[in-house]
Amino acid sequence: MNISEEELNRVEKKDLFTSGHRACGGCAQALAARLVQDASGENTIACVATGCLEVFSSPYPDPSWRVPFLHSLFENAAAVASGVEAAYKALNKGPVNIIAQGGDGSTADIGLQCISGMFERGHNILYVCYDNEAYMNTGVQRSSFTPYGARTSTTPMGNRTRKKDLPSIAAAHGIPYVATATTDDFKDLQRKVKTALSIEGPKYIHILVPCPLGWGHHGELSIEISRLAKDTGLFPIFEIIDGKVTNVRKIPVKVPVEEYLKPQGRFRHLFKKGVPTAEVAEIQAIANQNIERFNL
Amino acid sequence: MEKLPLGLALDLRKVVPYKTGSWRTLMPTNITSMPPCTHSCPAGNDVRGFLRVLAEKGDYEEAWHVLTRTNPLPGTCGRVCPHPCEVGCNRRDFDAPLAINCAERAVGDYGLDQNLEHKKLIAARKEKVAVVGSGPAGLSCAFHLAKRGFQVKIFEAAGEPGGMMRYGIPSYRLPNYILKQEIENILKLGIELECNVKAGVNIPMDQLTREYNAVFLGLGAQMGASISIPGEDVENVYTGVDFLKQINHGKYVELGRDVVVIGGGNTAMDCARVAKRLGANVSVFYRRTRMEMPAITAEIDEAMEERIMFRYHTNPVKILSDEGRAIGVLCVQMELKEPDASGRARPIPIDGSEAVYPADTVIMATGQMIDYDGIDIQKVDDQWIYTSELQMTNLDGVFAGGDAVIGLETVAAAIGQGTRAASFIEDYIEGNVESRLSQPPVIYSKDLNTYYYEKSKRFTKEAVSIHRRLKGFQEIYPAFDHEEIIKESERCFSCGLCYMCQNCYMYCPDNAVKISPKTGMFEFDLDFCKGCGLCAKECPCHYIEMTLEK
Repeated sequence: MNISEEELNRVEKKDLFTSGHRACGGCAQALAARLVQDASGENTIACVATGCLEVFSSPYPDPSWRVPFLHSLFENAAAVASGVEAAYKALNKGPVNIIAQGGDGSTADIGLQCISGMFERGHNILYVCYDNEAYMNTGVQRSSFTPYGARTSTTPMGNRTRKKDLPSIAAAHGIPYVATATTDDFKDLQRKVKTALSIEGPKYIHILVPCPLGWGHHGELSIEISRLAKDTGLFPIFEIIDGKVTNVRKIPVKVPVEEYLKPQGRFRHLFKKGVPTAEVAEIQAIANQNIERFNL
Repeated sequence: MEKLPLGLALDLRKVVPYKTGSWRTLMPTNITSMPPCTHSCPAGNDVRGFLRVLAEKGDYEEAWHVLTRTNPLPGTCGRVCPHPCEVGCNRRDFDAPLAINCAERAVGDYGLDQNLEHKKLIAARKEKVAVVGSGPAGLSCAFHLAKRGFQVKIFEAAGEPGGMMRYGIPSYRLPNYILKQEIENILKLGIELECNVKAGVNIPMDQLTREYNAVFLGLGAQMGASISIPGEDVENVYTGVDFLKQINHGKYVELGRDVVVIGGGNTAMDCARVAKRLGANVSVFYRRTRMEMPAITAEIDEAMEERIMFRYHTNPVKILSDEGRAIGVLCVQMELKEPDASGRARPIPIDGSEAVYPADTVIMATGQMIDYDGIDIQKVDDQWIYTSELQMTNLDGVFAGGDAVIGLETVAAAIGQGTRAASFIEDYIEGNVESRLSQPPVIYSKDLNTYYYEKSKRFTKEAVSIHRRLKGFQEIYPAFDHEEIIKESERCFSCGLCYMCQNCYMYCPDNAVKISPKTGMFEFDLDFCKGCGLCAKECPCHYIEMTLEK
């Protein structure tokens, strides 16, 4: 790692992902994309899978990206990025930051094999997953990142399965750097992007991005909700460097999951006249397991 | 047609970005609002203003200028004010309120050390204003009028200016040299002062109204009121005000061994603590309990620390005397019944509970009255001066303020009255009819996003040890460390005023918050703002509010 502590902690705002995109008001994905882009700087190639991010940010002729941008299919952002990296190697050009980006569907469901291949072949690529916990672009269908109990258009009675643990899957490939982050702590997010880019090899960063439309909360609550996700223990913040879990964010004051669930429309059916049902206890158990597992 | 680079159908440099601002229904706006400290300060001091200057620049000089915009006596208020601002402070609900009072004193003292001078706002005008009384109300009125260019002359009945601050507050709370310096500083604005002139006696009121465009009466409540019990007209029974006046004139008062102070107000506390410093055994008699005492809590605490005896539920009914000197007080025990008109419990005597307490001196600090000698004016309750909403009395062009109008109140309240009266007098002379009474909304804890603040410890002032305190009249609290005061000022939430935390700038998903090239502050790019409200929600200090489109 050849990057100074001061540079890591500096907050970057370069507007490489500019205004005028078509995201909903309060979209945390647009915010996360900008934070990642500003942290990595001008010397970047963005390979973006189909999904909300691509749809709202890249319509011709006024895309939001001020860096080279490649749009790929839903499933193959990682494969396209691998090709870009191979081309740079073959032409003996670079170095350049290659960031493959996708939503949770393209990362955890249909794109998983491409990502797995990218990790396994050891390309020097950062993969960023913007996790909004369902296929928001196509109308809020369930993905394998949809948490237990959440209502989507394909799980109207609430999702019965648990969220796929992709950071652990990524770490199991033996890649040098895996991290999770949220948009409310932009300093931490940008530090993680910069740390990842300073490491040679495949990297994976998982960012939780609340979706006002799909999660059914007001746009102004996007930051508040990602903060609650951290403080309830439902979204643990950690880094896995060379297979070891480090820099776990300790929860300052533990918050019961009800506070996280209540502002969101997708969990409203879990409260019958304000009284939590058995599912809420189940979600609390998931949070408690996370707290125990990562010693939050 | 212009030739485009190979492969391009249109020149991307000429593409106008899609203006997402048209999606908006609510619009973020920067609001002007009143922080609770200023709101609860009777003098209306810009507390947030001077604390932010200290925190951001560490500049005591600028802080002094901000503070003296409203308050000409920061050193005095920093010592004697019961700081209602700290009760208002939103930090109270978070950890502990800021030590605003200590910061005020440090800034005031810095101004005196460096001989900082007040600035005039407007060049001299020819209109003349007479101010009667040089207490806090009169001084502040004269100060604000002089700053606005009026020719001001103060008439003071006593030998030295300062009113009750000079003659009513003992020097262990407010050293004389501080007050004197601050008054001199105010007079440097070109205010004339004539002492030993009593309006209504030495100079008739109609002469004042004839010679001056306006008159301000800051009479104060200078006369001690007794509770009229038998035996009180002997030589060693004093009223509280008289006793303090004599002490502050530098006279020696023979007290004897046991001193009984009657009353539970600030004057009673002052009398008791002065008597204690003169070596007497002091007890305070009050007919209700500590809960109902009108004195400042800190004053009662300090009096108790100084081993002053408090007798509650005790009401004197007769002063026993021998050869023209009081030797004891006959008291009756009281019990508290349902509240009276003032909201305090009504004390009812218990039969057969009479007791005699020995006393070599009795001090009756049971209220104060206004000396109306030669001033004929409409009154409220036959006691206080009647004033209109614009602080004018029933006489045209005669304004009033301070204790004589609002009853027995604090220095800060009198300063506030003087400040407002100055505005009203200016309006009166200029013939303005527009009211200046409107004020912006106040920010309370619920409006703030306290997630972004860190808990911290409040600055505590260290008092001199009790046994050194009681040896003389030196100040109880020594000067504060400047660095520590700056650290304390950094605790200020800056309610309602941007302190460049960058939250709106970093969190806007649409990059619609920009840094203004002109002011260096954040501004909204309404072409792109979608009106999601994230900035307003995450603004720690409630500087941003979502409002309807104009």
